[in-house]
Amino acid sequence: MSGATTQATGIAAWRDAIRRDRKATIGAVMLTVFLFIGIFGPWLVGDPDTLVGIPLQPPSGEHWLGTTGQGQDVLSQLVVGTRVSLAIGFAVGLAVVLLGALIGVTAGYFGGRVDGLLSLFFNVFLVIPGMPLAIVIAAYLPSGPLTLGLVLVVTGWAWNARVLRAQTLAQRQRVFVAAAVVAGESSFRIVTREILPTMTSLLVAQVVGSTVYAIGAQVGLEFLGLGDVSAVTWGTNLYWAQNDSALLTGAWWTFAPTGLCVALVGFGLTMLNSGFDEITNPRLQLERAWRKHLLQRGKEPTRSTPVVMDND
Amino acid sequence: MRYLIRRLGFYLLAAWAALTLNFFLPRLMPGDPATALFARFRGRLGPEAMQALRETFGLTEASLVSQYLTYLGSVFRGDLGISIAYFPSPVADVIGTGLVWTIFLAGTALVVSFTIGTLLGIVAAWWRRGWVDNVLPSSLVFLGAFPYFWLAMVALYILGFSLGWFPLGHAYGDDLTPGFTAVFLADVVRHAALPVGTVVLATLGGWLLSMRNTMIAVLGSDYVNLARAKGLQPSRVVLRYAARNALLPSVTGFGMALGFVLGGSLLTEIVFSYPGEGYLLVQAVRNQDFPLMQGIFLVITLAVLGANWLVDLVYLWLDPRTRDSVS
Amino acid sequence: MTKPLLDIRDLCVDYVTPHGPVRAVDRVSLEVKPGEILGIAGESGSGKTTLAQALLRILPPPAVISGGEVWFEGSDILALDEPELRAMRWRRMSMVFQSAMDALNPVVTIGEQIVDTLRAHGGSTPRSARARAGELLETVGIPRDRIDGYAHQLSGGMRQRVGIALALALEPALIILDEPITALDVIVEREILEQIRVLQRRLGFAVLFITHDLARMLQVSDRVAVFYAARLAEVAPAAALRRAPRHPYTQGLLRAFPTVHPGGEEPESIPGSPPSLRNPPPGCRFHPRCDRAVDKCRELTPELRPLGAGHFGACHLAE
Repeated sequence: MSGATTQATGIAAWRDAIRRDRKATIGAVMLTVFLFIGIFGPWLVGDPDTLVGIPLQPPSGEHWLGTTGQGQDVLSQLVVGTRVSLAIGFAVGLAVVLLGALIGVTAGYFGGRVDGLLSLFFNVFLVIPGMPLAIVIAAYLPSGPLTLGLVLVVTGWAWNARVLRAQTLAQRQRVFVAAAVVAGESSFRIVTREILPTMTSLLVAQVVGSTVYAIGAQVGLEFLGLGDVSAVTWGTNLYWAQNDSALLTGAWWTFAPTGLCVALVGFGLTMLNSGFDEITNPRLQLERAWRKHLLQRGKEPTRSTPVVMDND
Repeated sequence: MRYLIRRLGFYLLAAWAALTLNFFLPRLMPGDPATALFARFRGRLGPEAMQALRETFGLTEASLVSQYLTYLGSVFRGDLGISIAYFPSPVADVIGTGLVWTIFLAGTALVVSFTIGTLLGIVAAWWRRGWVDNVLPSSLVFLGAFPYFWLAMVALYILGFSLGWFPLGHAYGDDLTPGFTAVFLADVVRHAALPVGTVVLATLGGWLLSMRNTMIAVLGSDYVNLARAKGLQPSRVVLRYAARNALLPSVTGFGMALGFVLGGSLLTEIVFSYPGEGYLLVQAVRNQDFPLMQGIFLVITLAVLGANWLVDLVYLWLDPRTRDSVS
Repeated sequence: MTKPLLDIRDLCVDYVTPHGPVRAVDRVSLEVKPGEILGIAGESGSGKTTLAQALLRILPPPAVISGGEVWFEGSDILALDEPELRAMRWRRMSMVFQSAMDALNPVVTIGEQIVDTLRAHGGSTPRSARARAGELLETVGIPRDRIDGYAHQLSGGMRQRVGIALALALEPALIILDEPITALDVIVEREILEQIRVLQRRLGFAVLFITHDLARMLQVSDRVAVFYAARLAEVAPAAALRRAPRHPYTQGLLRAFPTVHPGGEEPESIPGSPPSLRNPPPGCRFHPRCDRAVDKCRELTPELRPLGAGHFGACHLAE
């Protein structure tokens, strides 16, 4: 009961903090817009596969974003693609952090030989270039969202593992964890009750960052034709645009809107993350308060300690 | 020295891991690996040639261990099999035609982007809330959110297709013979401008932000405060004390970003029909040319590992503490 | 009377927080005469380091100097602009930082860090600056051939000596020593203090010596100022302070260091802990920990007032 109330106030506090921070507000608004498009949009537009008119018509009142090289409605494709691309993006973002946490936290918590081995493992994965590896794996497997997700997780988890290992190592040395070990609690309990809760904001930031990665890499692989080219996603839209020589026929509307959407979602998520950072970073908060204090008193922030007499 | 040898050991291990991955990938896939690998060869190759190819990849009736050894042996001989898309050229030869272009394109883009981004990061951190700090990070992060290849498409569409300022693709004009002549080199630069430029634009924000953030942390350190207390010129405090130290994490990040930027650069090549590994890769994907795909993966991985070792050398030179570390 | 070298009048320093400013130095007035060693004692967080860095105007954000004057060699430091500050810093007033570990640039040789100080204030060629840097290192007992070494190659004591060599480089009129011995073991600590004394006698600079170790301070200083919760509690000649401390806080501090106390009884720490500066108690800030506190102490802020020859205290009960 009391747990539920604290959680509610926690969420309310976050909502207020996001509202106060400009970057977080921008990010949250952009993300909300795209989530709405992804969830409800497909019911509002026509079937993206239907051939609705002459191919490569520029934007008009009838087809707001024109038609593709096959004669489909670009707007329908964009909206329907939003749902699939975002779903894969968020699912992969979450999965990548879960895998990274499993390996990183295990390495950081147990230390010693376990740490040495797991660290070597993720460092090797970190240094092997992801895109070529993803291409090879995706080429062998039957194309589809599952393949795509799997490939993105395999090539994307290592960075999270590395960061979470370092964080766990730092937390482990904290006194309260040592006390919990002495008290004979199980490792699983210590990790889930004592260590993971201290890293909540880091984990959220990682999910957001990994989602940006997942959307970008997914679009890249599909652009190469490694997705299911008969499905409608942002990446396959770009694949078909390239295949239909959109550039050489001057059909900018077949690729420009999709790229813009990828960028807006990525930008929104990144803004959300740097907004979180501003909210949770005490150093940035102090500096901001200092700057405001000076500007309110008509002083410029200076490198040498500023002098603001407040008795007058 | 010890540091470099340790790092070298790590890269050798990573190279071995990539080789092993390369060996097992076809075998992990559903169905008979040979069938998957050579489906496209049917009818084009005689039975003897098929047998030779099988042996290159160790896809024989022998045990897995001896298959693995056969495979390692052929890789060390530089035998990566025969390309399907460019039949009957050996994969090694096909990759060889593109490697220089890829390294040139990605290398130039990385170095240019890192240099400009880092300098801008220093400026942004030193003049906090100045226009560089206010405007650039957000705009560059926005640009960085676009897929590299999409920026490439837009740049090609506007600057190449519509305005005609830049060539529409390839690494140099068809009418030129490659060589170290001024005309040829100038043409190469002209052709590289858009692909390099778009990759730089897409990655600049990352370098700026990482340098800016480390700079802000370093500017709060005791040694920078002491430098200020010593009455040094601001330029000296910033460059010699703050930036010189803030550079270290960025250089580590440079090593990590190598593989990532290279991936984006491969996709950019496709848009410009640039004759590098990315272009070859898309040909391989379209023709289900698995030997070529795997060869490219291997060669690119080795190139990235080598480049990482070079970055370690630079780091060693920048940080005296690494030179003395015994552990 | 000699004209003071440094004259601090009612100095106030605030740290700005999102919940408003917190006063870390509250109306502090102090003088340092030429060639004098003034000790500043107090628990950590009482404002000693803040005061020291405020004198050089190098306190980083979110600090703001919010009141007072700091007269040093004829000019008010609080009124100087950036180039004037740069010219004053180190040439006239230098400082040895608290943590020698973090105060040296890890990627530049110690020699270069001395050389660039010399060169920043003009008048030396690269060659002569290097020769002088070697000389300075020898002065503080570091072999000249360490000039091309890096901070991480030196022990903690050696790094602290480099800090002192740096502070001596331009032969300033005032050197601030901010807890120069905190991280050192007893032998190194004694050596370094001895060295500072010898150099001070030879070169004649004044010293502002900050430490929480009252015993050491009384050995070294001519006069001592005791800080409590951002304010001055007592200022007196070292001998007078040791013999007859007037503020209950100073008395408590001395009891905590029985080696300096004539009685030599068991060390006895002051009960309780220093107040939060965010929300200090009204009246005398020491009253919650003072066993002699009366109603007046809880309501009225005691001002620093003369209690004898050169002896000042901020206590209602001292007569």
